[in-house]
Amino acid sequence: MLNLKRTVCLAMLLVTAALAEAQQSKVSAAYSFFQQDQLDSAKACIDAAVKHPETSANGQAWYLRGFIYKSVYNKLEKGNKLSPSRLEALASFKKSIALDTTQENVQECIKNVKYLATTLYNDAAASLDSIDYKIAIGNFEKFKEYYLLVDPTPANIAQKDIAFSLAMASLYTKIFESDRKGKTEFLKLAKDAYNKILSIDPNNIGANYNMGILYYNQAVNLINQSDYDLDIVALNDIQDNSINLFKESLPFMEKAYELDPKRRETLLGLSGIYFSLNEFEKSNMYKLKLEELEKQK
Amino acid sequence: MKKLLFILLLPLVLLTQSAAVRLDQSEEAGARIKAIYIYNFTKYIEWPAEYKEGNFVIGVYGTSIPLLNELNKMAASKTVGSQKMEIKNITAAAEAAQCHIVYILADNSSQLADVVGKIKGKSTLIVTDKPGMAKLGAGINFSVVENKQKIELNRANIEKYKLKVASTLVEMAVQVK
Repeated sequence: MLNLKRTVCLAMLLVTAALAEAQQSKVSAAYSFFQQDQLDSAKACIDAAVKHPETSANGQAWYLRGFIYKSVYNKLEKGNKLSPSRLEALASFKKSIALDTTQENVQECIKNVKYLATTLYNDAAASLDSIDYKIAIGNFEKFKEYYLLVDPTPANIAQKDIAFSLAMASLYTKIFESDRKGKTEFLKLAKDAYNKILSIDPNNIGANYNMGILYYNQAVNLINQSDYDLDIVALNDIQDNSINLFKESLPFMEKAYELDPKRRETLLGLSGIYFSLNEFEKSNMYKLKLEELEKQK
Repeated sequence: MKKLLFILLLPLVLLTQSAAVRLDQSEEAGARIKAIYIYNFTKYIEWPAEYKEGNFVIGVYGTSIPLLNELNKMAASKTVGSQKMEIKNITAAAEAAQCHIVYILADNSSQLADVVGKIKGKSTLIVTDKPGMAKLGAGINFSVVENKQKIELNRANIEKYKLKVASTLVEMAVQVK
């Protein structure tokens, strides 16, 4: 009985070793195909290897997979802003970093993550238009996820978040301005983007100024789109709404002024807001400050 | 493995610039509100029959380009009954006598007495834009109440020029005697 048990155990060990060897040979085969630039075969072998329980936790296998998919991206999908191979490569390098207890390949993985994440960022920047902006958002979110492996400093990621959100807000504003009646949802998106920036950095001059301008323009447009036929009761309602918007604009513009009192645009903005609120003394005060500033130039 | 390409993050700065504010936008909006009020005056005030022929003349006494632009835009798209609107930039009190409405801008408020003197026996509505003017001869004076553009109305100063004012307009105005 004891002998039988020993025999079974030995047989199981031999089978397991054979299977493990088979999986290891798939990794080797993948590497061989990769070196010969046979990327489809390399992919098939490495995918089978990382799915198998014997090699799914092998950091080297994931490391190789990262390189294979990075090559596919570089050779076949470089112009594709939604390249699936780039994401597979990034996920593989990330997995390799997590599994690499010896730290042998970590630095190399990070270099590759940096390279691929940067292409994501650049594709996001290149997609900032009215057609591809959702691709920009998706790529930027992926960039952030992976760039944390390269530079985990929260302040640095926050800076990139701010720059991207400013660009997005600017794009949303542009889309809204192209069709103020039909694309009102983009006004809300622009405000949300500026609010996001201000929640990270309340002293961001650009976000404060642009948010002020958004409300200001909204108020002005509300009045300028009114028909001459409007009766006085309806005109009063329009005035109430526009006054509320001018008042919403004011704290942002004042904050922008506080942060940079010599910025021409902010002085113009404050003068305009107070003029619209029929507070002419204050409007003239900022107008005079602007004139003094222009004289100093 | 293979050689790593060097790549830089593209700058986003150029994409974040926004359009600068134009101060005249505020002036245009303010002028639009005044134009809408003035068009309402033509609906709620009735001129004598002899004033219902020819152009309906609105005189602006003073200089405000945004206001003149707005009134001209209004005149191009609206009528008063069957009358075309004509906007005149007047430079002397005597010209007020040829107008259905004369709007004396704040900077020219000192001319109110002269205008009143020149329109005796005529049917001209005097509109002003400075506190106290409705007590000094204006029929309607623009005023600001809680940041909002409102109107003061002196019924006697309207009706003495044989103009009939609808009660709706009276109710919507701050009445001055």
